[in-house]
Amino acid sequence: MTPESTEEKSRYRRYLELFTGSLDDKKRYRQVKARMERLPGNYRTAYDALERYLMFFGRADGPLALEMYEDLADLFEQSAANATPIREVFGDDPVEFVEAFIQNYPVGRWMAKERERFTSAVARAAGEAERRAS
Amino acid sequence: MGKQLTEMLKGTLEGIVLAILAGRSAYGYEITAWLRDQGFSDIAEGTVYALLVRIEQRGFVDVAKVPSEKGPPRKVYSLNPRGREHLQEFWRNWAFLAERLDHLHKGEQST
Repeated sequence: MTPESTEEKSRYRRYLELFTGSLDDKKRYRQVKARMERLPGNYRTAYDALERYLMFFGRADGPLALEMYEDLADLFEQSAANATPIREVFGDDPVEFVEAFIQNYPVGRWMAKERERFTSAVARAAGEAERRAS
Repeated sequence: MGKQLTEMLKGTLEGIVLAILAGRSAYGYEITAWLRDQGFSDIAEGTVYALLVRIEQRGFVDVAKVPSEKGPPRKVYSLNPRGREHLQEFWRNWAFLAERLDHLHKGEQST
């Protein structure tokens, strides 16, 4: 996390960001991109594939989504530095790793919200007054 | 490591990692290495990492960033009081499950 978000923004900047989205977020995202471009080839390839998969779940906007990319960047840099084989980073089932990982962030929570909606709907259909807390 | 064992491990991995951290602070790679040493060879680094992110978000661990000679700074995790409480709950549940399964196993043998 960068502490930049606590900075007082100028009025011009706030006005501009109505059109552009948060410039801090964009900057942080570019920083992650730049870090990943410096990875050795096979880690880079794996990261690109992972990023593509993540994009499927929705736009990567907002500080929490950026935290997800930053956390991934940490993992990949650390793995590359330790020369951990790609297979050991991802495990036998890469989807399983990603699914567990994104549960920690809003991208995952977006799906979690839909699951909750579904669960409530079933509870209502089952005639239960209150949804069972999970 | 068989598929069945991997599946069972998934449900207990959080407790295992908390138990490791109860002994001493560690960073992600050390935890994965320890698990591999113990024969949990199929555990993906990424899976452990995702778990560490989660227990950090849930407030079970305190995190210190320590510079490393290669790569980005390492996050060193140590169990805090809330994490210890959660670990105790894990051991209680584990004892219950182990006892019940043992019972079932013995019953099956005697028939």
